[in-house]
Amino acid sequence: MGGLLATERELDAFLRGVEKRAFKRTFYHVRNEESALDIVQDSMMKLAEHYGHKSPEELPMLFQRILSNTTLDWFRRQKTRNALFTPLGDFDSAMGDGEFDVLEALVSNSDNLQQESSQSQAERAQTLHAIELEIQNLPTRQREAFLMRYWEELDLAETASAMGCSQGSVKTHCSRAVSALAKALRLKGIDP
Amino acid sequence: MKIFTEPTDTVSPTEANFGARIAARLEEGSLDLPRSIAERLRAGRMQALAKRRVTELQLAPVLAGAQSTTETMGAHAPGFWTRASALLPFLALVLGLVTIAALQDQERAYELAEVDAELLTADLPPTAYTDPGFLQYLKKAAQE
Repeated sequence: MGGLLATERELDAFLRGVEKRAFKRTFYHVRNEESALDIVQDSMMKLAEHYGHKSPEELPMLFQRILSNTTLDWFRRQKTRNALFTPLGDFDSAMGDGEFDVLEALVSNSDNLQQESSQSQAERAQTLHAIELEIQNLPTRQREAFLMRYWEELDLAETASAMGCSQGSVKTHCSRAVSALAKALRLKGIDP
Repeated sequence: MKIFTEPTDTVSPTEANFGARIAARLEEGSLDLPRSIAERLRAGRMQALAKRRVTELQLAPVLAGAQSTTETMGAHAPGFWTRASALLPFLALVLGLVTIAALQDQERAYELAEVDAELLTADLPPTAYTDPGFLQYLKKAAQE
């Protein structure tokens, strides 16, 4: 046990701090807004129910692991469902109805964007959109390793633990992800 | 021969820099989520906290019981002498067994000494007991 047990306020603050990133990360994996929301909510419930009394220092790692496992479970269920209902499967496109559109999101938050020029806004949105698309195109393990290391800022050991693989594998996944992203963005003339 | 190297947390500065820049962009994007999504996440968080409260209530009696047990144990924490006294029956048992063994050895030695003394002090010479004819005579006398 790391230290004092997390209070409700600390748990609230922790979840508030990670929920948006968790949603976006999950969305990159499952490419469905509703499913991403369900997975994040499910993960928050599991954390609160089973680990809500752990020390605040332990929460980030636990949450990453729960989120990864819950996402994996979702994929397993999808696989089973698709295997059962292939003739009826609608094979939704990755950006179909109910999808989160980053351009729409940026437009909807007009209060913050009023300060920027419309040209700058559009460029930023385009860049972000391109980055998100390329991240979605990464192989799952590479995407997971890259996002945990650089966005969640987990160290090598923590990422390896959350992903259930060796530190060497994490390094390889990250390196390949960076290489693939850099190449794809360069082809689009984007410098992040 | 395969050489194993210790994994380190170091990455090339270029890779780290690129990763950080991408992460900054993603972070920027995540702050601008539509209100409906943010509201759903907030609702999910509230449900999770409510779940924690329920779990807390269910666990409270268990935790309280465990705590009181710990406190009771703490108040009467076994000291050196208490723990040492717990070993007394075992020591007594070992001591008793050793004493019994020693007494039995001594008793057997006395019995042998008594037999030897009788043999040596009897009118019959001890060499008579090595004579087969005499032994046969003794057996017959005992049967009669």
